[in-house]
Amino acid sequence: MKPARIVQAIALALALAWSLAPVYWMLATSFKSELEAAQLDPTWWPHAATLDNYRGLAGGTLPFVTFFANTVITCLATAVVAVVIALPAAYALSRARFRLRGSVAYGILVSRMLPLVVLLAPLYLLLLHAHLLDSILGLVVGFATFGLPFAVWMLKTFIDAVPIEIEESARVDGYPRWQILLRIVVPLIVPGLLTTGAFVFMEAWNNLIFPLSFITTLDKQTLAAALVVTFTGQFKTDWGGMMAAATLTTLPLMFAFFAVQRSMARGLTSGAIAGA
Amino acid sequence: MPERRRAAGSWQKRGPPSGGRAAARGRSPAFEGKRRVAPKPGEPFLDWMVLPTVGVLAVVVGYPVVYALVLSGQHFNFLEPDPPRFVGAANYVQLLTDPIFWQALANTAIYTFGSVAVAALLGLALALLVDNYASPRMRVVRALLLTPWAVPFVVTAFLFRYMYLQNGGVINALLLDAGIIRAPIAWLNNAAIALPAVMVANVWAMTPFFFLLLSAALAGIPNEVLESARVDRARGWSMVWHVKLPFLRNGLLVGSLLVVINNFNDFGKIWATTQGGPGYATTTLVVYVYRLAFENFDFGYASAMGAVWFVLLMGFALAYLRTLQTR
Repeated sequence: MKPARIVQAIALALALAWSLAPVYWMLATSFKSELEAAQLDPTWWPHAATLDNYRGLAGGTLPFVTFFANTVITCLATAVVAVVIALPAAYALSRARFRLRGSVAYGILVSRMLPLVVLLAPLYLLLLHAHLLDSILGLVVGFATFGLPFAVWMLKTFIDAVPIEIEESARVDGYPRWQILLRIVVPLIVPGLLTTGAFVFMEAWNNLIFPLSFITTLDKQTLAAALVVTFTGQFKTDWGGMMAAATLTTLPLMFAFFAVQRSMARGLTSGAIAGA
Repeated sequence: MPERRRAAGSWQKRGPPSGGRAAARGRSPAFEGKRRVAPKPGEPFLDWMVLPTVGVLAVVVGYPVVYALVLSGQHFNFLEPDPPRFVGAANYVQLLTDPIFWQALANTAIYTFGSVAVAALLGLALALLVDNYASPRMRVVRALLLTPWAVPFVVTAFLFRYMYLQNGGVINALLLDAGIIRAPIAWLNNAAIALPAVMVANVWAMTPFFFLLLSAALAGIPNEVLESARVDRARGWSMVWHVKLPFLRNGLLVGSLLVVINNFNDFGKIWATTQGGPGYATTTLVVYVYRLAFENFDFGYASAMGAVWFVLLMGFALAYLRTLQTR
């Protein structure tokens, strides 16, 4: 092997270690007993592997299963709502010609780049007056502020890639536009719909500031916020339990991520994406 | 007719990076900033299909932004029984003399630009490195390198918080075992190093974004370009520097701007590691506004800060849009 190749291989090994070591540490710790996880001289792998941490989450004092369900419902609802509302807009911005098209496209993009905190106080008051504070529906409304603009732009790049000729015969046959969208375009952009939905799902899953601000009842909390809220209580020293909870919080996101990872590069290079 | 529609449908597509200007001349100018085409007679004003999105955004984004501006002119504390009253620019004056605001502004700048610069460089190095291998096995390596992206921010935060523990933290244990340090370091409790320590977690989480973005850009370099460079005996660094990097410049720029905007908004990683402490050492603007709004319930002052920040962020958003157009 040439020296350059060896250097490259070492660099690659280091990069893999940097990327994976923290995840390994999370998994390893989640199988350690409370005592072993808090040891002053950490053990490199669980010496007495146990599932106690996971059992504790299912039957412990905290409604972890409820947190999990809340989060899945909220994030799925956000993804579905965002994609459904965004779809016609993305189609119109891609295909139709109307005077305000540029302004609408820009407006949607700019709304995506707002600092979330400028919305924090007014959105709180808005949800308060709409009696949506402390509810999953209110959270979905909050998540729509960043999910919807993103979904419009991402779906648009997928619709742009569908050749317009495919729609021509249906147009000649006199089908209305919404039928062309549903019957011809939608089946062709299923991967795009899934990728967009997965991205919105991931962003909602990652969001901490809205559930922390808008949800006050612990039973209605999402995982991200619940981890933060309860950490000062139950998990103060119980790092094993904490890491088990962290592992379970990570799994759905990992699933969503790797399911769409390959079509993601395309969305990324299309420029308008705002994920990450 | 199909021709015209086709052109309209592809207004967002771009030519190769080097031919950007030439390609721009040939495409529909509908999205070219102020140089708009005169509206054609008979072209409708608005399309009903955008109305659901526009309507929802008007309620959940437009209205709150206007409301925030109104709030920023009021003394409005949620905990006080008196109704909000108009105070003019008082909140903005208070802001100018608030040392924590200025520290938060500086922290935000360091956190954002520092992490983005390092993550972009690491992502670039990784993309170039992996690009050297053609083996199908690299698909697995590629996926593994993307793993941090699939870890929720809050989990990343807690994970690093655990690894950073002064006593029993794995990072101190490793450094002690290797003889690099003699006594364990209080990473997150030391005001001088807490911010860089959180930035390391941020870089870890962000690098895969640049890696994926730049890998895709590298894969998009036409083979002929690489071939002719090889014929010209471009090797190693000169290949990277003169042939590949010019193709990555746009991706790097757009990606960085996007991530800068996301980092300005980054609340989860900081809040779950340090809650902005020790003192105000890791308090960024988001953290400070959150504290003002939901610990002090000072909605007026928090909104004024949000408004100032809105202006700052819009500056970056406009820079981003400009880059997008002139590519």
